[in-house]
Amino acid sequence: MSSNESIISLEGVSFNYNQHPVLQDINLSILPGQFIGIIGPNGSGKTTLLKLISGILSPKQGKIKIFNEDIDTISRKKIAKMISLVPQDSFISYNYKVKEVVFMGRIPFINQWRGETALDYQISREAMEKTDSLCYAEKGIHQISGGEAQRVYIARALAQSPKILMLDEFTSHLDLSYKYEIVKILQDSLKEKVQCIISVFHDLNLASYCSDQLILLNEGIIEEIGTPQEVINEYNLKKVYRAKNHIVQHPELAIPQVIM
Amino acid sequence: MRSLVELKNNNNLYGYTNWRYKALLILIIGFFAILIVGFIGLNFGTIIIQPEKIWSIIWQHQTDNSLGLIIWELRLPRLIMAMLAGMTLASVGGSFQGMLRNPLADPYILGVSAGAALGACLAIALQYTLKLYLIPYLPFFSLLGALISIALVYLLSQKQTRLSVSDLLLAGVAINFFFSAIITLLLATSKQGTHTMLFWLMGDLSTANWQKISWVILPVFLGTLLLISSSLELNAMALGEEEALHLGVQTEKFRMKIFLIGSLMIALIVSFTGLIGFVGLVIPHIARLLVGPDHRIMLPVSALAGSVFLIICDTIARSLIAPIEIPIGAITAILGAPFFIHLLKRRNNINE
Repeated sequence: MSSNESIISLEGVSFNYNQHPVLQDINLSILPGQFIGIIGPNGSGKTTLLKLISGILSPKQGKIKIFNEDIDTISRKKIAKMISLVPQDSFISYNYKVKEVVFMGRIPFINQWRGETALDYQISREAMEKTDSLCYAEKGIHQISGGEAQRVYIARALAQSPKILMLDEFTSHLDLSYKYEIVKILQDSLKEKVQCIISVFHDLNLASYCSDQLILLNEGIIEEIGTPQEVINEYNLKKVYRAKNHIVQHPELAIPQVIM
Repeated sequence: MRSLVELKNNNNLYGYTNWRYKALLILIIGFFAILIVGFIGLNFGTIIIQPEKIWSIIWQHQTDNSLGLIIWELRLPRLIMAMLAGMTLASVGGSFQGMLRNPLADPYILGVSAGAALGACLAIALQYTLKLYLIPYLPFFSLLGALISIALVYLLSQKQTRLSVSDLLLAGVAINFFFSAIITLLLATSKQGTHTMLFWLMGDLSTANWQKISWVILPVFLGTLLLISSSLELNAMALGEEEALHLGVQTEKFRMKIFLIGSLMIALIVSFTGLIGFVGLVIPHIARLLVGPDHRIMLPVSALAGSVFLIICDTIARSLIAPIEIPIGAITAILGAPFFIHLLKRRNNINE
């Protein structure tokens, strides 16, 4: 992989919180058009890796480049036009309407003096249509269920028309039917403007189902990186999760699934 | 203006309403509300002046008779000062609540008021002990005190490299307590100044005059506009620190900006009016209940509602048991609290 083609590249990236190492010597190169899943046990550095790639945290060592630009040199506003994030959990401090929350995804694009245009409204509405959240657009964000709210956060992230879409365990509040619908929406978005999706997963089976490439983290280092077939095997999982597990093949798709 | 026309012609707004229309409507309603309430307010006081008389006094600019002087030199400046104070307190309160993600925040929570109060009380105490005539310079002392407390809060809240919400809040609360303790000490030890100090601390609009208005009017309007122009970032802050960063808001810088603009506005207005309570806490809540939390609408509504509310309160404060004045802070709470509770109950009924 040449670094010119990759949209995200990490070279020797390390990070620590108060002397406590979280990530060590991460080397990574992400090509366009891919759905990347980050898996690993609690405390293995998944969320930290996400925060480093989005520039929320700065690496103590090493270099992170987005579209061949050093992320430390890019302004927050410019990053916001490229990267959006669906948080794991969110508390919105005032009871905004759903449509207002989705519209906030347009904030980085709105000119302060001219204000928003009809296009901003259009993009917000399309994001709500895609995530099936339009039917409760007028409701307050505090009045809807956790699953509905999760779809609103995804709509907001899509309204930001990102090139890189990041998700932190986006399925935590979704029931089965919506889980697969959302995955479909995400995969469809990859065919449109989104060039790359990076998601942290807790659910290994869903990670295997969604991702083109998986990154398995273990105690701050990359244990394995590759396709789900390459990463999800009994040896790797036993080593990283320290638990007995069995791998079966999905009955219809050529992907591994983990059972207890 | 061009984009306003553009959006008007485009009826299909994809389920959104154009906030510019709402803002325009609110401005018009607010403007007339201030005019009407203000005009009624001019009638009342130690003597009641008939509306027709006020009308002619204003249009003919009569200052050569006693009624004309009452209107032009006493009631009108006071009314305008009340309007400016209400606007400042409510819009700063609303911005601080948004910036700190805390619905219990008020303009005084970050320590500015305590600094201003200490400055003012110190000047009053010095006036009586050193026999210096410092009252005309009271605003200067109070502003200086406020600036010192702003600097202290800023320095105290710098923990490691990041400026977090709780650091800012804790620093503000600490400074408030510390300065309040010194004020209590001054109150207890100053024999002659106590009355003046107490009146300042409860809020006093009786010293308003045209010159004072000329000093505050521009910063108040400019500051309010600056706060309103930060509305989108304030909306983003409601999502949380990290998500605001992801929306391109440099949260630490932004918080500092709102803290400084807000605190400077409060420092300035409080130097001339004393500490008027309750407005900055409750008016933003009422605005949010009326028009929702979108700061682009909520902040202008707060500013205008704050103005109207303080004009009403001041009218009552100076005319209810005239010629004795009731401290305006008492009126704001007595009037505001039941109204606020009523609105809260009504909202709960709608939601159920």
